[in-house]
Amino acid sequence: MPILDVQDLRVRYSRTGAEILKGVSLQVDAGDFCAVIGPSGAGKSTLIRCINRLVEPVSGRILLYDEDVVTMPTRRLRETRRHIGMIFQEFNLVNRMSVMDNVLSGRLGSVGTVQSLFKLFSRDDVERALTLLDRVGLTDHVDKRADQLSGGQRQRVGIARALMQDPKLLLIDEPTSSLDPKIAREVMTLIRDVAREFNVPALVNIHDVQLATEFCNKIIGLQDGVKMFDGPTEKLDRRMLDTIYAMEVL
Amino acid sequence: MTVASATGDRPFDDRIFAAEHQRRRARWRSAAVAGIFALLAAICLYNILVIDTDWARMGSLGEVLTSVGRFLAIDFELIPHLVEPIIETLMMSALGTALGAILCVPVIWLGAHNITPSRWIGYPVGRMLMTLSRSIHEIVWALVFVSAVGLGSLAGILALAMRSIGFIAKIIAEAIENVDPKPIEAIRAVGGNRLQVLRYGIVPQVLPVAIGVIIFEWDINIRRSAIMGLVGAGGLGLTFHRQMVMFNYPGVTTVILAILLLIILGEALSYYARKAVI
Repeated sequence: MPILDVQDLRVRYSRTGAEILKGVSLQVDAGDFCAVIGPSGAGKSTLIRCINRLVEPVSGRILLYDEDVVTMPTRRLRETRRHIGMIFQEFNLVNRMSVMDNVLSGRLGSVGTVQSLFKLFSRDDVERALTLLDRVGLTDHVDKRADQLSGGQRQRVGIARALMQDPKLLLIDEPTSSLDPKIAREVMTLIRDVAREFNVPALVNIHDVQLATEFCNKIIGLQDGVKMFDGPTEKLDRRMLDTIYAMEVL
Repeated sequence: MTVASATGDRPFDDRIFAAEHQRRRARWRSAAVAGIFALLAAICLYNILVIDTDWARMGSLGEVLTSVGRFLAIDFELIPHLVEPIIETLMMSALGTALGAILCVPVIWLGAHNITPSRWIGYPVGRMLMTLSRSIHEIVWALVFVSAVGLGSLAGILALAMRSIGFIAKIIAEAIENVDPKPIEAIRAVGGNRLQVLRYGIVPQVLPVAIGVIIFEWDINIRRSAIMGLVGAGGLGLTFHRQMVMFNYPGVTTVILAILLLIILGEALSYYARKAVI
């Protein structure tokens, strides 16, 4: 049984607008590190944001551990989001807060509202955050403000925040697009390694095909809201890539 | 295409004529506008200065100068009696600003487009409260509260608070409308509820603006609180009013100098407060 099973997902941003996703289906199994590739505007970010309903789909089913996310009531949706770690292209940190507080904010879904308003996190949470910051290599930056860090370091904070959630699924949106090639490779390596260590499947948007084939065991090719390819990385050949990226030539 | 080649060319002469005509019309238009302004100014001058001024009471130039001269002295005996009103004025401005900043919160919540509980009722109500607070002069607010809670600085504090809400709320609400949506998305993604999105996604982003505008408003409120006493709402203004009704002109000057001193003090205080906090 797949961990994530998306069936015939359709999205449009306004009632009359063009469809962004035109019936996409995909599956993510335990242990998968699955890439979503495709040209800009193919709907990669929309697809990823649908899975935790930051974007509301028009129709379709998103089964996470056999429970449909699309029809969940708000409270249950928040509980589900608690277990979905998300890593963003532009890190989406709270810049004026410390690295520590940013990582702790990964626990917000599990802490009482009143405690969280005063930033009161348990000792265990603080300990876990410190361990994770050690793991992503930010031991010396715990008390700095997030906006004092470099791009690569900020993404590491983002990774630690996602891991803080003890996630059952990682959604990763263009994790390396704001970084230079060398740092991008380091960050990708880190994400793949922690996904293995924490035994959590991941769905990664990535437009760099080189990185996708190198790091991921499964690839989904998206073009203009339609799935063009779905299979293990070995099966993706030159001709298929030309088809997926055909739009970009125009 | 030289000028010479166009000489004697009928259509070209027409264009020169048209351009000249246009320039003449523009000159006439500016002259007419200037004339209308001059006329309006003359009417205003006549009505307000010539008719409304009590020329008979004014007396000669010498008498005017003597009257002004009466203010050019300092009443040293008054100075010890100014300490308490100065402190009262400072405290009034601080408390009024603080109260205004607290009362702001619900107004901001209603009047910021992206967090308002209802865009059709809450938002217009919030915006209206902001405008109402700002469009009523502090002296008018003071008159209202003097009649409501009686003479003294409580009325002044309430008046300053009411007058402060509008400005503080407007600036903070606009800062909230312009926040970076990315951290908000992240907080929603970890399962945060509306309050947590507010606390972690919005508050850290607008805090510097909020602190800055509150300090600025306090700076303005020091000025305002110095005149609250004119309508009986406590502080230095009250002393000023007493000196005025006692015809103690050197005393009036002394109070004015005290206000000036207080404002310079407030300017310095708010400068350091701003630097310390932001």
